[in-house]
Amino acid sequence: MTLLCASPPGDCRRFDRRIDALAEIVAFTEQVFARRGFDRNLLPAVDFAIEELFTNSVKYGVGSSSPITVAIAAIDGGVQVTLVDADVPPFDVTLAPDADLTLPIEQRVPGGLGLHLTRRLVDVIEYSYSPERRESRIMFRKTITGRPAAEAKERTNADD
Amino acid sequence: MLTIESGSDGVVVVAGRLDAAQAQAAQAYLDRVQGSVTLDASQLEYISSAGLGVLLKTQKRLMGSGGKLKLAGVGKHLHDILVYAGFDQIFEIEPAK
Repeated sequence: MTLLCASPPGDCRRFDRRIDALAEIVAFTEQVFARRGFDRNLLPAVDFAIEELFTNSVKYGVGSSSPITVAIAAIDGGVQVTLVDADVPPFDVTLAPDADLTLPIEQRVPGGLGLHLTRRLVDVIEYSYSPERRESRIMFRKTITGRPAAEAKERTNADD
Repeated sequence: MLTIESGSDGVVVVAGRLDAAQAQAAQAYLDRVQGSVTLDASQLEYISSAGLGVLLKTQKRLMGSGGKLKLAGVGKHLHDILVYAGFDQIFEIEPAK
């Protein structure tokens, strides 16, 4: 986590593990975008993905009191965001099933849409876990010209 | 920040960010509407899956009693989210002018 926030320090921050921290995260993301001159067209998707991944960590990281780290970095044509969640069991967000959009409204439920949509809004999403530190690390990238991560997953599934 | 209120013509106007921190307040408001209702989303800057859940729960309740929730003034980003979520099959959506 130290390395993640090493440079530049203004683009990395730790947030309390609570839903109310979302307003602080939105303000942080806005500040980083303004300071670094990132394309604001990326902001809605980046905000969405960060919220979904952060709230997921809050919901399922019960028992951990560690803050959740969010770091934003520049990449060619866009941004890379990393969330680090410590003192938690593994939960690979890339393996969560898609929501079934074919169900009639009577059978649709609110849950399950967050990760489904995140995979369609960002270009790449990767997950890793350190058992020694009990630390989940989620990285996603969003560029102006990129294709949704869900398309790559669908191609992989088709190849299997 | 989120504001949600009924206009003089009965349209419910939602403005700001409908995220996980605001979903409970939005749900409490929409739990009180009845019949067929138009939600003016032209000032809605952002919606997350928690906000989508509020819309879905409201639509299911209203449709169960013969009403419905129509979404109006829907901008491009919100429209993309609604389509990715399959909500274009569940809601009547009127794009922003």
